Amino acid sequence: MVRMAFIFILAWSSSICAQNDIARDLFADYKSAVLQIRIIDLTSGSKSAIGSGFPVNESGLIATNYHVIQLAASEPKQYRIEYLTETNKIGKLELVDVDVINDLALVEAVDFEGQFMQLATQEPEIGMPVYALGNPLDLGLTVVPGTYNGIYRASYHPRVHFTGSLNPGMSGGPTMDRQGQVVGINVATAGNQVSFLVPVSRLQVLVSDYRTRGAAIDNMQLRIGEQLMADQREKFSSLFARNWQAISLGEAQVLDELAPFVKCWGGSNSSDDKAQFLSADRSCRSEDNIYMTSTFATGILEYQFIWLEADKLNSWQFYNYYERLFGDFVPGNRADEEDVTGFQCDHGFTQGASGRQSKNVFCLRAYKDYPKLYDILFLQGSVDDKESALISHFTLAGVSKENGLAFTRKFMEVSQWQ
Amino acid sequence: MAVIVEVLGWGGKRRQYFKVDADQVSIGRGYDNDIVLSDPHISANHLRLNACGDGWAITDLDSLNGLQVIKNPSTDESIFTSGAEIKLGRTKLRLVAEGYPLEDTKMLHQLERDTSKLNRLSVWLPLMVVVFTTQLMSVYASTLAEWEWKNAIPVIISAQLAIFVGAIFWSQLGRLIRHEAHFLGQYSLILLASLLFIGCSWLLSTLSYNFSSALFGDMVQQLASMGILLLLLSANLALATNLSTRARWSSSAVFVGVVMIIGSAGQMKSWGEFSPFPQYSSTLEPPALLAVKGQTSEEFLADIDPLFQQADRAALEK
Repeated sequence: MVRMAFIFILAWSSSICAQNDIARDLFADYKSAVLQIRIIDLTSGSKSAIGSGFPVNESGLIATNYHVIQLAASEPKQYRIEYLTETNKIGKLELVDVDVINDLALVEAVDFEGQFMQLATQEPEIGMPVYALGNPLDLGLTVVPGTYNGIYRASYHPRVHFTGSLNPGMSGGPTMDRQGQVVGINVATAGNQVSFLVPVSRLQVLVSDYRTRGAAIDNMQLRIGEQLMADQREKFSSLFARNWQAISLGEAQVLDELAPFVKCWGGSNSSDDKAQFLSADRSCRSEDNIYMTSTFATGILEYQFIWLEADKLNSWQFYNYYERLFGDFVPGNRADEEDVTGFQCDHGFTQGASGRQSKNVFCLRAYKDYPKLYDILFLQGSVDDKESALISHFTLAGVSKENGLAFTRKFMEVSQWQ
Repeated sequence: MAVIVEVLGWGGKRRQYFKVDADQVSIGRGYDNDIVLSDPHISANHLRLNACGDGWAITDLDSLNGLQVIKNPSTDESIFTSGAEIKLGRTKLRLVAEGYPLEDTKMLHQLERDTSKLNRLSVWLPLMVVVFTTQLMSVYASTLAEWEWKNAIPVIISAQLAIFVGAIFWSQLGRLIRHEAHFLGQYSLILLASLLFIGCSWLLSTLSYNFSSALFGDMVQQLASMGILLLLLSANLALATNLSTRARWSSSAVFVGVVMIIGSAGQMKSWGEFSPFPQYSSTLEPPALLAVKGQTSEEFLADIDPLFQQADRAALEK
């Protein structure tokens, strides 16, 4: 449910000309510093994935996205990483470090000679023209002019909103200001000129970490597990520190937007004349998918409430419908057999402080590669009223046991039907 | 002396018999014989029996396929005494005298007597009304749109039609085997079984809802329905066939076993298969059916602990 705004493009030829001049100059100056990153399948000898990258120092340390090199990070025996320069020179790359939370990776070329890019130390102002470079769809190096629109507030992990078209293959490429300093790393697009960059500050942290450590990471899996664990620890402690506000839905009180990065949407069937019952819902979700593999994402937080009233239905019909709805919940993040165990569930009735009885379903699955991290799906449905009901649901992806239980406890406290 | 010639069927059971009160008896396929048999391997005039002491002497009348002696209690090979078995062509015959001992009379089984009582309009009609009403109620309870008869009738008709066809099948089988159709009896049996099934699954689902226990889960539901099927089949067979009690139960059990094997073979593919979706019990019943009192949320969360350990173990299994 993304609201779309229509932008009418008027004649603003003079500014386009000025932008084009800068784009042309930047392209000419930096084309040799933007590389195509290729993941080569060792069995077939062909490329399995491509993206972009750029050197950040004279010794050949190259920045790209984690999702570009993920295959090689997960299956080092099956894939190798290569770069291809604008002049068609091919070289081998070694994986040095990753930041899965911010979708960044550092790779190193052994005998790289060439230009490297400066990282900006200051964030540009909103509205400044910036230029994304990369290899969209393997078409060759391309420059895309656009506008810097600041850090997107509805994301827990900071992302820059870049108004310009990023396309597959440009991932990992730099976005520069007019001076040719990198302000962000191309990462994602929502289409229609809405694209996202990882702020360059995240890359600076990763690079300086590497400088202090002075060596590549041996155990990538352990490193990723630690990053996921630390990220959820920080996220949930900031969530628990907040004031959990309730908002009314039907006769119940339910959890409101927990933080600026959690967006809620709602709807009801009250305008439907033929409806035999009343239903109103409120769904909230954070758009913080952490990319793990093409079949596995984590980091999301979503919760949902549905208020039901029997209206014209008798209680048997009403509970029949209610049961159907109750059986329909699935987690909002995707995961495969290689990544997680199957869900295991526990059921039970609870009685809230107000004496209201509910049926609870608590399901969880463990991460196979990252111990002590789980996806938790919780479901609660009131069961002591013949003609109205409240369903509460949340899914937490990539959470520790302590945070999962603490969240459940607080969630049950705040969302109440008195 | 009268001779009784029994035509034996499968397992040595009597299929047909002839009783002739004469000292000389002719057997063959021709109509001029005292005992006329239809087996095409028997000659027109096959043999002749002559009373001789306490047995019979047999004279083969130049038959094409001759005579085979299967059993003869007599010590004298030329004389056949009561109980002797011979084979002409493909037909087995037993020669007995009037005093030949019989097996004890069997008592009618309780189930057979009780099921026969079902063959009455006064039983069938109330059962029919109850099943019909139950069905109507269940269709009504699962309707979420405005009630319309046109939506409900096809559902009810098709279920009733299935029961009706079942009753027809069993009654025709009964007519064929026992010369008794027991149509209403068979009909009542199936109605009774469907009521039992509805009641049983309702009871189990209410129990499983209240106690959130696997004890009343799908497995038990399936076992219960197989049990009901076993009862029904055995009762159907009692009405429609002459099978002995043991044969009836064992053939019903074999059938149910086959159904279970086919059923589980269908599900076997999904055993141990990974699902990205949680499989949880979504049963919700109106407050009137909730008998247990809820725990506090702390108690509920304390019970969750083993789930984490279980998942950790599963993650290590990889």
